Order: sequence, then C-alpha cells, then structure tokens
Amino acid sequence: MPIFGDLTLSISLGLSLITIVLSFIYIVTKDKRFFFTSERTILSVCFLVFLSTFSLFSSLLNSDFNVDYVARYSSIETPIIYKFTAIWAGQSGSLLFWLFILSGYVALVVIQNKNKHQKLMPFVIITLSSIQLFFLILVNFVANPFIPAEANFVIENGLGLNPLLQNPTMAIHPPILYLGYVGFSVPFAFAIAALCSKELNTSWLQTIRRWTLFTWLALGIGILLGGWWAYNELGWGGYWAWDPVENASLMPWLTATAFIHSIIIQEKKNMLKMWNMILILITFTLCIFGTFLTRSGIVSSVHSFTASSLGPIFLAFVFLILFVCIYLLITRSKYLKSEKKLESFASRESGFLFNNVIFVSICFAVFWGTMFPVFSEAFTGSQITVGPPFFNQIIIPISLILLFLSGIGPLLAWRKTSKESLVRNFSIPSILGLVVVLIGILMGLIGLYPIITTFLCAFVFFTIVIEFWRGIKVRNNKYNENIIIALLNMINKNRSRYGGYIVHLGIVIMFIGFIGKAFDIEKESSLRIGESISLSNYKITLLNLRESERPNHYAWIADLEIEKDGKIISTLVPEKRVYFHKNENPDRRQPHSELSIFSTWREDIYSIFGGIDTEKDLLSIKIMINRLVKLVWLGGYFVLFGTVIALWPKKSLKRI
Amino acid sequence: MNKKFSIVIIVFSLLLIIWLGMGVGDNELPYVTIDELSEDYSNKPGKRFRIGGIVYQGSVIVDEKDPLLTNFILEQEKKFMKVSYHQILPDMFKDGSEVIVEGIFDGEVFFADNLMTKCASKYEGDLRDAAQGSEKI
Repeated sequence: MPIFGDLTLSISLGLSLITIVLSFIYIVTKDKRFFFTSERTILSVCFLVFLSTFSLFSSLLNSDFNVDYVARYSSIETPIIYKFTAIWAGQSGSLLFWLFILSGYVALVVIQNKNKHQKLMPFVIITLSSIQLFFLILVNFVANPFIPAEANFVIENGLGLNPLLQNPTMAIHPPILYLGYVGFSVPFAFAIAALCSKELNTSWLQTIRRWTLFTWLALGIGILLGGWWAYNELGWGGYWAWDPVENASLMPWLTATAFIHSIIIQEKKNMLKMWNMILILITFTLCIFGTFLTRSGIVSSVHSFTASSLGPIFLAFVFLILFVCIYLLITRSKYLKSEKKLESFASRESGFLFNNVIFVSICFAVFWGTMFPVFSEAFTGSQITVGPPFFNQIIIPISLILLFLSGIGPLLAWRKTSKESLVRNFSIPSILGLVVVLIGILMGLIGLYPIITTFLCAFVFFTIVIEFWRGIKVRNNKYNENIIIALLNMINKNRSRYGGYIVHLGIVIMFIGFIGKAFDIEKESSLRIGESISLSNYKITLLNLRESERPNHYAWIADLEIEKDGKIISTLVPEKRVYFHKNENPDRRQPHSELSIFSTWREDIYSIFGGIDTEKDLLSIKIMINRLVKLVWLGGYFVLFGTVIALWPKKSLKRI
Repeated sequence: MNKKFSIVIIVFSLLLIIWLGMGVGDNELPYVTIDELSEDYSNKPGKRFRIGGIVYQGSVIVDEKDPLLTNFILEQEKKFMKVSYHQILPDMFKDGSEVIVEGIFDGEVFFADNLMTKCASKYEGDLRDAAQGSEKI
C-alpha cells in the first residue's frame, strides 16, 4: 500500500505539470482540445491525491509500522477514530491532508464550472494547479509521508498519538480549520484569473461569493474550536492566548471578514474593485504565510510544531505569490478604477469602508505583534517579544470601534443619510444601551472597558432587534401576516442580509462573553483530604484522593465538592494522568492534567490538578472562576446559524 | 469627497502606528541571555525579561512548606541562574526540559511569573523508543 501511495503522488506531480502546460497552450493557441485535456488531467491529479490519502489511511488502520509516519503517530492501542485523525497529526501527513482538501475543492470547482466562465477557467486551472504542484513537490521531495521506517529491527508497536490530540474536538478542529485555510485557494484562483483575463466585471465575484462565505465560516469555526479545545484541554483557563499559531489563523479571517463586507459594495455600487482584489489576494497570502509561521519555528510558540526545513520553502512561496499579485495589480490597475465616488461620510458605503479599514488595522496590529520579535532582532539585534498584554491593549479599543460600526451600519442609508433620520434611528438604541449599562452598574459592573463594551453590545443588539421589528411590521401591515410568519418570510426574502444580522448578533454575544474575562478570579492552593478553600461565594472541599490504573495511562484523581452559599451543587474530578506509564524510559512517560469544569451560563468553575505529594497526601490545585465563557460558544452557534442562512441556496426561494 | 476620505484614512493610519508604538513601549519583553540579563537588570530594576534555557538536571526543589513554590536552576550554555516560580507547574516541566521563563531579576534570583515548556516537539519521538521486535536481517 505505501508504495502505491508514493507512486500516485509521483504521477500526480507529473500530471499537475502537464495540466499547467496544457492550459498555457490553450491560452496561446485557443485550441479547445488542450483545454478539455487540461480539465481531465487536473481531475486525475485530484483523484490520485484521494487514492494516495486513502493509502496512508489504510496503512494507519492496518498499523503498518514499516511506514515511518505510521510508526511515529499511531500504535496498536490507538483507537480507530484517532488512527484516522493521525493523518493530520504530523508534518508530512498534514501536508498530504492539505493537498487532499485542496484537491476536493479543485474537483468541485472544475466540475461546477464546466462550460461556464470560459475566459476565466483556464487561468483558474493554472492557478489551482500551481498550488497543487507546490504541495506535491513538498510531499514528494521534502516531507513524504510514505518513507519507510529506518530501524534495524522490526517495529512491533508504534509510538502512539500524542494524548493531547486524543480528544474529539481535536479530531474535528484541524480539518475544519484546513477547510477554511485551503478554501481561500478558490477565490484566490478566480481573482488571479480575473486579473489575467481582464474580465474584471463583477461576475467573478458572484461566483466566489458563496465559496468565500463558506470558507470564512469554516475558518471561523475552526478558530473557535481551537479555542474550545485549549479551554477544555490545555488547562490554563483561557481560550485565546495571542499565540503566533492562533494569530496565524486570525489574520486571514480578519481580511476575509473585511472582504465579505466590501464585496457588498462592489455588487451594489461597483466601487472598491481594486480594494476587493487586494483583500482576497492578501487573504490567501496570509493563509500560506500562516502555514509558514507555524512550520518554520521562526517565532516561538506554545504549539510546538517541529521546526523544519519547510520554513524557507513556504517563505519563498509567499514571496512568489506576492510578486505575482503585485505585478498583476500594477499592470491591471486601469481596469480596476471605480466609476463612482463616495458621497457622504454618513452613508452605508462609507460605513462599510471604515469597517474595512478597521479590520485591516486589526490584522496589521496582529501581524505587527506576532512578527515583532523577528523585526526587532533584524533591526536592533536583540529579540524583543510583546506578549498578550500588548495585543489586549492595542486591539480591544480598535475592536470596540468595530463593534460600534456594526451597530450604526444598518442605520445608515445608501449614498447619504439625513441628519434627522440619523438622530431618530440613533436615539432609541442609545437610550436602551444606557439603561442596560445602568442596570449593569447596579449589579456590580465596573471598569472602563467592560462598561463601554456593555453599552456597545446593548446598542448593537437593539439596532438589530429594531431592524427585525421594522421588517416584521412592514410585512404585518402589507400582507397581514402574523409575527412569526412575517419573520420567517422576511428572512427568506433577504437571506444574506438577515443572515448577516444574525451573525452580528452572535458577535455581540461573544463580546459579552469577552467582558466576563475582566471579572475572572483564580486561586492556587494546596489541600489535604477534608480541607477546603473559598473563592467568591463558592467553597471547594477535597473529599478524597484516589489512584487508578487504566489501559493507556495511570491516574491520580481528586474528588472535589463544590458548595455555593452553603448548598452542594456539584462535584469536580480533576486528574493527573501519566501516559505511557509502563515505558522504562522516564522521559517517554507523559504527564497530563485532565481538567474538570462545572459550567453554568453565569460562570465556569474550572479545576486543574497541579500536583500531588504522595508522602503527605497533599494536593496542589488551581481553581478558577471564569465568567460568561459559555456565551462565547453560544455566539459561535449564532455565527454558524446566521451564515448557514446566508449560504442557503436561492433556488428553494422560488418554491415558497 | 474622495479626498476627504483619503485624509481620514491617512490620519487613522498614522494614529494606528502611534498607537502600536505605544503598545510596544508599554509591553516590550526583551528576550535575553543570562549574560545580557546580568548587565541589563541593574539599569532597569523591576523590568520584566524573558529568558530561555534548560532546567538543570537535579536542581528542581519543591518547597517543604509550600508545594506551589518551586526553585530550580536554569542552564544556558554553561551559565546558570536561580529561578523561583510560585505557581502550578506545567505538565511537561521536569529535569532537563527546555523552558522559557518571564519575570523579574533581582541580581541573584529570577522571579518568574510565567513558565512555558517547549517539549511537545520531543514527542516527534525517536523510533528507537518503539517496541522492538526481532532484528531485521
């Protein structure tokens, strides 16, 4: 099987080159036969990549430890589901998996656009093929997942998958993130094709609109799942640490968010052509750049991917992409001029424009902070890092401006908004926002940022509610529909708009969750059985300390009882586990703290087993009270739901 | 009108750059070597630094009375520094692991408030650790 996988990768490499050559010949000679052949060769590449991925999967499933990758990332005991996820656990496997997803997308694009976009497709195929070629070169020559294990003995069992990755969230987080990262290849290819063929009307944009939205959603959900996993598994009590690897995924998400907003203006007003082009090109470049960041080890990160020889190759690819993009943008700039101009600051166009400026600013700030150690070392010779406090200090205020804009956006009219309507539309949500803040202060809300954020969240929430209410009222008067039917019909009639509002609602809910961060408390302590600690209005008692030997690890377990205002509400059982506890080499034994969390809407009680002194039966433990964390996940569901509404195919609309 | 927009955007960008500069000034955390640290700290008492190295074999001492207090010696190319850390240790912390600490130096002891281990890469283990069967011929 591994030989088969290796072989298919080699053939794909050749076919991928042939595809590029054929498309070029078609562009020069206009002989259709070359184009049809190139369509077939690129589909064959996709098919061969699928076969190759399945071949790696079958090696993993059959525990074929003659393959180096299988011996490193799986063992006989690894559960089947995690044998499957081991495909993306290591460097070379994840590159193959990246190629696999890319090939899925490519096949879909080629089949979907058969006989469509005649002028664009050859360039789309060239671009996608080139990206495939890049990854094929990597998996063939630099990080081949099929290389045989180099050992002078028969490997009876592999090393097994990192226990941190043996978690259901970790099983779905990488593929979803990849769906996002890789998916931007398609809008990128269409953008390059539009530039090359000078077909720069909005038709290419309409084709990729839903692609972009889907990809954006996948990337966003991927990021959120990463945060969820960190929160539930890593045990530092947070979901976002401004780690370079997290930032790498956030940057393309930010520019993509800017893009899905600004294409609305291009579609409606035919403005910002150049800007949109830059945004989508940058988004894809940032995806590749992010991969470079995570694989090169250029900035130290808690996510220790191995530093590898891939860094320079990815960096070279980033520069190649940038060079091509800049060249095309300069030579095509005259086709990208807008026909119309902005008329007023108080217009929806300018609202979108400022929203874009802010998104790009945040992206730049994240980039700056992430790369600061590299820049400072290059210019001053000494490496200076800026940690999470930098990002919080810089980005919180900017993102609050953004939150504010998402509130006033719907209040602004296209072209120009009159002062009277602005005042009229502003006053109700502002007053309601102030009322909410007052109630909040009475309930103990303090601090500048929490108060401002609360006000803005309420403000945006009420503008959205009023917007929905107005729409319902109109339908109610016009068609005499009851509220629920009017709501459903209204959403159905304008899915992207109301889907968008639901996404905004999700973001507002997330921001409320972020406010909670300001009110978190924590305590570290050491306890004997029967002793307890108090934190906020909770009392935590250590009832018992147990030990247990399980199939693949050894565990110490603490039984904690949680009392709130004198009433027992729950028990928590944090554990300290040692994986590979039977391994004779103590360095190979891997300790792992299994968290225990009691979650309510108001707050989570988060317990971490720090350590145990077995002689004295003394447990060191950390308890955190994390406020409103659940709202962050709830917000995520709203974002998902709203985007699905916006994405839902228009066809079924006709039936209703 | 487009001119006005350009001005607003340029002003905003300038503000952003100033804002970023301020952020760096407030939060910069120089990544230093032990030698540089001994030179630098005296100029800026109370300043936070970040420093990386190896936990010296056998140097980890958990305090008798307070199990949350850990003292160890950080080794960096034959240079040594005492580190004191008063928090729960990360799972991967042990003798010989590669760590990055952040905190304040008082001339003798480095009081770390943040300790990160760089170890998961070790996981990309050695095939020699795999269960061995008979020798290949």
